[in-house]
Amino acid sequence: MRFLFRFVAVLAFVFGVIASQWLLGLDQTVRGRFEGRQFRVASRVLSAPTILYPGLDVQRAGLRGQFLRLGYREHSAARGAKLELGRFSWSSSRVRAHLRPFQHPTRAEPARDIVLRIEDGVIQEIRELPRGREVGPVLVEPEQVGAFYGGDHEQRDLVRIDSVPRYLIDAILAVEDRRFESHHGIDPVRIFGAFLANLKAGGITQGGSTLTQQLVKNFFLTPERSYRRKATEAMMALLVEARYEKPEILQAYLNEIYLGQRGSTAIHGVGEAARFVFGKRVPDLTLGESALIAAIIQSPNRLSPHRNPEDATRRRDLVLELMLKQKRIDERQHERAVAEPLGVAAIAADPSDARYFLDLLRRQLPEVYDTAKLEAEGLRIYSTLDLRLQRAAAKALSTGLDLLEGEYPQLKTNDPAARLQGCIVAMRPQTGEILALVGGRDYGLSQFDRCAQARRQVGSVFKPFVYAAALEAERGERPVITLASFLDDEPLELDTPQGAWKPQNFDKEFHGRVPVREAIERSMNVAAARLGQEVGIPRVVNMARRLGIESPLPGVPSLALGTASLSPLEVARAFSTIAAGGTRPWPHAFEDVVAPEIGTLERRELRFEKVLDPGTAFLTTSLLAGVVERGTARRVRAMGLKGPIAGKTGTTDDEHDLWFAGFTPDLVAVVWIGFDQPRSIGVSSSRAAIPIWVRFIRDAVGTSVRGAFPKPSGIETLPIDPESGALAVSGCPRRQREHFLVGTEPETVCSWNGVRRRDPGDLGGGGDARRGRRRGILDWLRGR
Amino acid sequence: MQFAFQQARPRADLSIFCAAASLLLLMAVSGCAGLTLSEQVDALRITDVMNEGDATRRASQRLLIEGLRADAAGAASAAKGKYERALQLDATNPYAYLVFARFELDRRNRDQAHAFLERAASLFDGEGSRSPRVEPHLLGMRGVIDGRGSGALEDARRMSPSVWGDGYLSAEELL
Repeated sequence: MRFLFRFVAVLAFVFGVIASQWLLGLDQTVRGRFEGRQFRVASRVLSAPTILYPGLDVQRAGLRGQFLRLGYREHSAARGAKLELGRFSWSSSRVRAHLRPFQHPTRAEPARDIVLRIEDGVIQEIRELPRGREVGPVLVEPEQVGAFYGGDHEQRDLVRIDSVPRYLIDAILAVEDRRFESHHGIDPVRIFGAFLANLKAGGITQGGSTLTQQLVKNFFLTPERSYRRKATEAMMALLVEARYEKPEILQAYLNEIYLGQRGSTAIHGVGEAARFVFGKRVPDLTLGESALIAAIIQSPNRLSPHRNPEDATRRRDLVLELMLKQKRIDERQHERAVAEPLGVAAIAADPSDARYFLDLLRRQLPEVYDTAKLEAEGLRIYSTLDLRLQRAAAKALSTGLDLLEGEYPQLKTNDPAARLQGCIVAMRPQTGEILALVGGRDYGLSQFDRCAQARRQVGSVFKPFVYAAALEAERGERPVITLASFLDDEPLELDTPQGAWKPQNFDKEFHGRVPVREAIERSMNVAAARLGQEVGIPRVVNMARRLGIESPLPGVPSLALGTASLSPLEVARAFSTIAAGGTRPWPHAFEDVVAPEIGTLERRELRFEKVLDPGTAFLTTSLLAGVVERGTARRVRAMGLKGPIAGKTGTTDDEHDLWFAGFTPDLVAVVWIGFDQPRSIGVSSSRAAIPIWVRFIRDAVGTSVRGAFPKPSGIETLPIDPESGALAVSGCPRRQREHFLVGTEPETVCSWNGVRRRDPGDLGGGGDARRGRRRGILDWLRGR
Repeated sequence: MQFAFQQARPRADLSIFCAAASLLLLMAVSGCAGLTLSEQVDALRITDVMNEGDATRRASQRLLIEGLRADAAGAASAAKGKYERALQLDATNPYAYLVFARFELDRRNRDQAHAFLERAASLFDGEGSRSPRVEPHLLGMRGVIDGRGSGALEDARRMSPSVWGDGYLSAEELL
C-alpha cells in the first residue's frame, strides 16, 4: 500500500513535471505569436491614380471598368437620391459616383459624391454633391496592381477592433460563438450540445469550438482531427483567455479568419473580405453585409456569394434570424436587412498582366525591402504604372504577335518556350515614370523580362545617337552636320582588327550624295557609318552615354550601325532624353512606399539632368519626325496616327531583332520583337514592330496625338535650297524650310544666279532669324 | 581748390555723357527685345492662364492652382501632391515646372529648382508662351538661385516690384 502510494506520488510528480513543461511550452508559443507580429501581410502595389477632368474621354479611360475593378457597385439611383459610398450610376450622358477617399500620408483625397456630365463620351463638367458646385479635376483612388505574397499566398487587410461595426461583431458571435463574452476559452454547454447533435446524426456534423479555439487552431495547429490536437487546442484556448483581453482575442480572430479565394490568393480577415465581397472598408459595412460575412465563415467557398448567391442568402438570413433571437438586433433592423439584396461587387477580370512590372519594381526598391519585409509588413507601394496604358500595351503586344504569326506561319512553333517573343515599355520622357511594361508574351511560361533584362542588338535604332553627336556644336565649333548637309553614301572600306569592314545598305545599293534627312529617313547604313567616322566613335559613345545608355558599347566603326546590345528600357530612356529636350530622366517604377501607421518610408523625387543642348535635341527630334513622315516608319501615318510623332525603326542583320522606338511630346514607347534564341524572323520592323507600337498609342491616346515638339530658343528656321543645302534667298528656284542652331546657318546662298558664298546681309530676311538674334540679346542681358 | 574744381567739372560732364549714352544704348538694345528693364510688368499668375490651352492643359492648371492654395495654407505635402498630378496630366506644361521651381527654391533645393526652372524656360520658349509677364519670375528665381551679384534678381525687382520687390516669390503671388 505504501509502495503504491509512493508509486502514485512519483507518477503524479513526473506527470506534473511533464504537464508543466508542456504547458510552459504552449504558453511560450501563445505569447510569441500574440506579443510579436501576429500576421504576415502581403505588401500591395498600387497603380497611379486616375484623374477625371473635363475633356477626358471616359470610354478610352475605361472608367466604368475601373469602377468595377475597384469594387464600386453599380446602382440605378434616381436623380437627387442619396448614393452610398462606393457606388456609381452610369448613363451615356451622366455618371454619378460616390468616390471613396484616397488614404495616403501626404496625398490624401476626401470622399466625394460627384456627377459627370458627358457628351459624346467626353466629360463636359464635374459637379460635387450635395451643393452641386462645379469642381476641378478629381482623383479616383489607385487600383491594386499586384501584391508580394509569401508562400501561403494570403491576402489580408488588417482592421482594428475599434473600427469594426458592432453589428459585424454581433453577427459573428451570434452564429459562431454566442457565449464568447462569458466563457473562458472553451464552452462546455456548446460542446455538450454538439455532442448530442453528432450522436443524433450518427457522425460529426457540428463542432463545439469557440472563437478562441478556432483562432488557436488557425494560429498554431494543423487541421488534423485527433484527441491530442483537440486537447492541445483546448489548453491553448484557456491560456489565451487567461493572458489576453476579449477585444484583443476578437481582433486577432477578425484578422485571421479564412473567408474565401480570389484565384490562387486566400482571403483572410474581415478587412480583405469586405473589400473583396463588397468593395468596401469594414466601417462602411451595413447590417446585411455584416451578416453575410459572418454567414460565409462556416464554409467560405461553398457559401461564396459570387458563386452561390442563393445558398449565401439563406445562410445570411439565418444569421440575421439568430441575431434577432439573441436580441442583438430588433425586428425593424431584421426586416430591413433581410430585404437588402446581396449587393456583391463584381469580380472584374483585369487583362493587364503587370507581373513583369512588379518584378522590375521589386528590383528598383532599395535592398532593405527584402522578400521577408515585402511579404510580411503590409506596405503600400504607390507605383507609376498607368493601368490603362498597361492594358493597351499588353493587348497590342499579344495581338501584334498573334497576327504576325498568322501572316507568317513559319514564325509559329509548337514549343511554347521557343515562341516568337516581344516586349513593350512606355515612359513619360519628362519625368522618367515607367507607365507600362510588358516583358514577354506569357509571364507564366517565362519570367525573363525582355524589356529590362535582355540585351539585344539594336541596329538602326542606334543611329539617332550618331546623328545627335554630329548635330551638336561642341565647344562653340561648328557641328559636323546641319540639317542642310549632305552625306556620302558611297562604298566604304575600313580596316579593323577583325579584317576589312565594308558596310552595306539594306537594299545592297549605294545612293551617292544624299541629304542628311534622306539618309536617316531611309536608314542608310553606309552614310551613317561614314558619319560615325567623321564624328569619331568616342564622341558617339559619349553621346549615347549622356543620353542614358549604360550597357557596354564597343568602340568599333560598326557601332554607328547599332552593333551594340542594349535593353529596350535603356533605349526608352535615351529616346526620352531626346524627347524631353535634352534632359535625361531617371526611369522609375514607384513614387513612394508607405507603411501602415508609420507613414512614408521611401520616396522617389522627380529628378532629371540636362545632358544635351535643347537645340540639338530638337534637331534630332525633327530628323526622327521625318522618319515617321517619309521614311522607314511612314507606316505609323498609314495606320492612321496623326499629330507630332517621331521615331526610328531598327532591323538587325539577318532580321534577328526588330525594333521601333518612337515618341510623342509626352510619351515614349519602345517595341522589340525576336526569338530568345536568336534566329531570323524574315520580316522588317516596319511590318512587325510598328503595328504593335501604333495599336498601343491608338489605345493609349487615340488617333490624334496632342501637343507639339517645342522649338527651343537658339533654333532658327530658314528657307534653304534642298538641292544644294544653301540658304535660299530671293530668286532661288527651290526652297524648303529647315531648322538650324543659331550660328550654324548655311555658309552659301542660292539666288537667281546660282549658289555663292553668303554675305553678312543674307540672313536679314528670315523672320525666325531675327527672332533668334533677339533672343540672343535677351540672353546676353541676363548673362546667359 | 579752385583748380581742382575746374579740373573736376569736365570729368563730371564726361561721366554724365557716358552714363546717358550707356542708358540710351541699353534702352535701344532692350527695346529690340520689346521690353525695357525699367518697364514694369504685371507678373504672371497661374490663374491668368487657367483657361488657356486644351482640356488637358486646363485641368493641369487647375491642379496647379489647387496646389498653390494648399502651399499658401502651409500644406506643403498636399501642394506637392497636386503639382505632381498636374505633371501627370501634362508633362509638357511649363507653368508646372515654374511652380515646382518655386517650391524647391522655398526649400533651398537650388539644384532641383535650377533644373525645373531651366525646363520651364525651355518649354515656354518651345511653345511660344514666354511672355514679358513670365520674365520677372524666370529672372527672379534665377537671381535667387545664382545668389547675390547676379543682377537677375535686381532686374526682376525693377520689372515687377509688387511681386519681386521683397526678393521672394510666395505661393500666393503665383495664384
